[in-house]
Amino acid sequence: MASCALLPLVDPASWFLQAVILLAVQSGVGALAGWMPLARALTVAVQALVSLLLLTLVFAREQALAGLLPGPDVFRRFAVLLEAGAEDVGRYAIPAPLSDGIRLMLVGGVLVIGLAVDALAVTFRAAAPAGLPLLALYSVARASPGTARAGCGSCSPRPATCCCVAEGRDRLSQWGRVFGGPARAPGRVSGGLDSGSGVIAPVRTGRRIGALALGIALVVPLALPALDGGLLGGSGGPGGGGSGGGGTISAVNPLVALQDSLNQPEDREVVSYRTNARRTDELYLRIVSLDQFDGTTWKTTVRRIEDVPSPLPTPQGLLPDVRRTEIQTNLSAADGYAQNWLPMPFPASQVEIGGRWRYEPVGRALVGDRGQTTRGASYQVKSLVVEPTAKQLANAPSPPADLRKEFTKVPDSLPRLVADTARRVTKGSANPYEQAIKLQDYFASDGGFTYNTQVRAGSGPAAIEKFLKQKEGFCVHFSFAMASMARTLGIPARVAVGFTPGSARADGTMSVGLRDAHAWPELYFEGVGWTRFEPTPSRGTVPEYTRSDVPSGDASDPDTPEPSRSAEPSAAPSASDSCPPDLRRQGGCASAAPEVAAGSGGDGPPLGMIVLVALAALLVVAVPLLPVLWRTRLRSARLGPGGRMPTDAVARTMAAWLEVIDTAWDHGIEPDESQTPRTAAARIVRIGRLPSGPAEAVHRVATAVEQVLYAPSPRLPATGLAEDVRRIREGLHATSTRSARLRATLAPRSAARVVWAVSDRWTVFSDRWSERAAKRWAALTRRLPRRASQEG
Amino acid sequence: MTTYDDRASLTDLTTTAERVRRSVEGVIEGKPEVVRLSLTVLLAEGHLLIEDVPGVGKTMLAKALARSIDCSVRRIQFTPDLLPSDITGVSIFDQQRRDFEFKPGAIFAQIVIGDEINRASPKTQSALLESMEERQVTIDGQTYELPSPFMVVATQNPVEMEGTYPLPEAQRDRFMARVSIGYPAPEAELQMLDVHGGVSPLDDLQPVAHAHDIVKLIDAVRAVHVAETVRRYAVDLVAATRSHPDLRLGASPRATLHLLRAAKASAALSGREFALPDDVQALAVAVLAHRLLPTAQAQLNRRTAESVVLEILQHTPVPAAAQPGGGFFAPQPPGARRL
Repeated sequence: MASCALLPLVDPASWFLQAVILLAVQSGVGALAGWMPLARALTVAVQALVSLLLLTLVFAREQALAGLLPGPDVFRRFAVLLEAGAEDVGRYAIPAPLSDGIRLMLVGGVLVIGLAVDALAVTFRAAAPAGLPLLALYSVARASPGTARAGCGSCSPRPATCCCVAEGRDRLSQWGRVFGGPARAPGRVSGGLDSGSGVIAPVRTGRRIGALALGIALVVPLALPALDGGLLGGSGGPGGGGSGGGGTISAVNPLVALQDSLNQPEDREVVSYRTNARRTDELYLRIVSLDQFDGTTWKTTVRRIEDVPSPLPTPQGLLPDVRRTEIQTNLSAADGYAQNWLPMPFPASQVEIGGRWRYEPVGRALVGDRGQTTRGASYQVKSLVVEPTAKQLANAPSPPADLRKEFTKVPDSLPRLVADTARRVTKGSANPYEQAIKLQDYFASDGGFTYNTQVRAGSGPAAIEKFLKQKEGFCVHFSFAMASMARTLGIPARVAVGFTPGSARADGTMSVGLRDAHAWPELYFEGVGWTRFEPTPSRGTVPEYTRSDVPSGDASDPDTPEPSRSAEPSAAPSASDSCPPDLRRQGGCASAAPEVAAGSGGDGPPLGMIVLVALAALLVVAVPLLPVLWRTRLRSARLGPGGRMPTDAVARTMAAWLEVIDTAWDHGIEPDESQTPRTAAARIVRIGRLPSGPAEAVHRVATAVEQVLYAPSPRLPATGLAEDVRRIREGLHATSTRSARLRATLAPRSAARVVWAVSDRWTVFSDRWSERAAKRWAALTRRLPRRASQEG
Repeated sequence: MTTYDDRASLTDLTTTAERVRRSVEGVIEGKPEVVRLSLTVLLAEGHLLIEDVPGVGKTMLAKALARSIDCSVRRIQFTPDLLPSDITGVSIFDQQRRDFEFKPGAIFAQIVIGDEINRASPKTQSALLESMEERQVTIDGQTYELPSPFMVVATQNPVEMEGTYPLPEAQRDRFMARVSIGYPAPEAELQMLDVHGGVSPLDDLQPVAHAHDIVKLIDAVRAVHVAETVRRYAVDLVAATRSHPDLRLGASPRATLHLLRAAKASAALSGREFALPDDVQALAVAVLAHRLLPTAQAQLNRRTAESVVLEILQHTPVPAAAQPGGGFFAPQPPGARRL
């Protein structure tokens, strides 16, 4: 069951059946060894050996001796597969394709966990520790980004809880006195005093404790303001780490983290900066470029890194005649933001930062060395704002052959649809620039694509094809698709990952949050260098140099008009809510608007979230008040007028007595079931240090209880019991410390009776059902042999 | 059957009991609880086993109780050569009448003091069995009724065990309660020196109640009401002794009976017409402990039967009357969970 939690990690889930079968064989061997019986250690060893044989049979049959026996080659094969699996895990987003390496990791992992659980729970009879491996298995799935919404994952820790409940019964039976249930039948005392009933009582009490623990485990997360997970966390977990105040946002694989960053229920600031740039809406903070496309995903090429030069070399391919402005930006990363690539405007010309940073020249990125991260870093970056004209881009000569060769490489496995679509969309273009513009417009406005961060990131060669067909995705899909299509057209392309410019604050600084995480394609034009494009609708800002009137369709005018400068830059600095002024993109803006309203991207918290937060806040306020409210209601019910019949008088007296007991309990005098009313009253007076008035009241109530319970014809005081109870309460209040009074009022101990009542009802319910199930099973087993004998 | 006005009977009972108590306390000073327990056993028609070291007043207590009541008293000094016929009596052939004549033994008295009962042989000890339980003696096929009230007050010394025969379980079970007097407090001992220095206090002791008064009081005790819950509580306590891991022999059903009868007497002595769980609790150690046999392991751990009974008292819930209804938020009777 716990391995169900791993199902969302990999697609397809065919490994699961394999794991189940192998696990069944492993458990069967364990059961057989226990039946024989073998020594405990030997049982575990036999199970481990059988598991190894099974894994060899499934994963390394060709390398095995006689097709079964594991030799050195088998272990070498396992090592290769595991290494490949680890690489795949780092490479793929969720759900990852089921490579042999990942399959071995999953099936082998399940077998190892299964062996550990079986050894602990069955062989060594320690049920509680057996929950730990299950918890570990569950934690793997839970910690993996993208599985937070998996329904199966939320139910997976239950086996571990069941283990604890079962273990609780055993432990409880060793405690001696069971402080739970009273004797229910004549001649039977509770708990450890009665060996006959001592088996049942601990089991019930163990169940109660288990049910209580389970209840608390379910209720407490609901009560806590957990916005990023738990049972209410429907909108996904945090990106690469926790979203708590002191958490760490790690992004080892920027793409894996990106979708989760976009889906953060709470936008947390990761970087803030102040710049002297004239415009901030195009000041993207770039982290890293993904320039290697293997048909499945984009990733960074492993390149040589060097010391950070000062200043940085001129950007590749940028000629002097292109207009540029150097700006300075002072950035500071949040303490909780730990990224080993440095976010900075592109292209940077000079970086001043302390720490162990190294420079990757091709991607023009700074990478942390030996664990250096951005956590809390403050740094200054001088960068260029390159403003090429459309004409310069249109007239760009062919790129250098080696660069073209490297950055137009597409794998053979890339579906034909990608290249076909690229050709169809850019039909009639006169130059790569026009092709790029048409590609950008195709995604941003003309192609009918919609922006949706809830789409599964997907992987594998078919992912781009699927995206082109479904026309729904977020920045990763758009940038990957556009870069791939550009490459099929011979335009050098890569994908940049980073942040959109963020939003302005009153003091003039800019704040970049997790939801500003973004990916965009960079296309290379000789003379200008790597140039940003923005195919994602409703996200970011379309670069000025792409806002041209390039005719769409089969326009034959080869002249590229000057880029329109009439459209003034938007005053709103936030990229996410800016609508490109280009008229052709209006449709795209319109279609993106509902998405924004639905909470996918930007304009404040959505309605659903507000309702959820309000409910959570209400819950947080109401839950602590529940004991107080329950206690107040119970007190008024107990001390109410009641009826006038003699039986009512009995009930009133008992209610008053129970109220006295609970009031004393609230003030720290624990009830003791072995005490008579008289001794209990004396104890309350003694421990509560009650003065004579309230002390006499306690004894009066106790005497009334004695009359009710033990006298042949009770002589009850007609009235005054409720008044006595109030007097006792005031007396206890007066002799208690302030903290004790506060606790008695706000967190009354006697509220535990609610839990007991629930536990009792649950016990009755479960007993009834187990009894029914047993009857049905007995009826079934009676019927089967008869039928078999009739058939025989 | 005699009918009584309960209130008048209870008043008579408490008054008479108070007189007897003061009389006995004039001899046994500083031990009111022991005196009360002795009275309780007397009114509950039981027999009392006084177990303590020599010289603390075991015999004195028995004698004081006997002399405070105007009734027949016999004292038997149990020795190894004591014969059963010395206790029960013997039929002697009368030469003149040429017939057997029954000579009653020492048991034929209303209060029988058996001193150092564990020094007699088991055969002689067992001669007490029938008389204590059935209040009659059968000799040569002839049954002789014992007078009423009838109470055996036996003493034994738990320290000096050489040459003694520990009471068999069946014999111990017939004693309603066992009591240890214990050493007196220093002040009480000082006062004892002043009072008892010259003359025995027993000499001045005059009967303060007649035997037929005691019979009436016993009838009044029988009329004391015991609620179902209290009966259940007594049964729970006794049942707990039968399954306790530190005991190899628990209390018998006779113990339950004795416990409830003692509780009724205790309630009557307190002037109540109904017994409380408090009465049961107060008497549980005295009534139950001497019937229990701790396991060898418990004895090694220095566990005594008294400590086991106390533990059972601490862990056994006091049952309460079942309340009608009782929904989720409805008031629950005390003790349903924890009192």
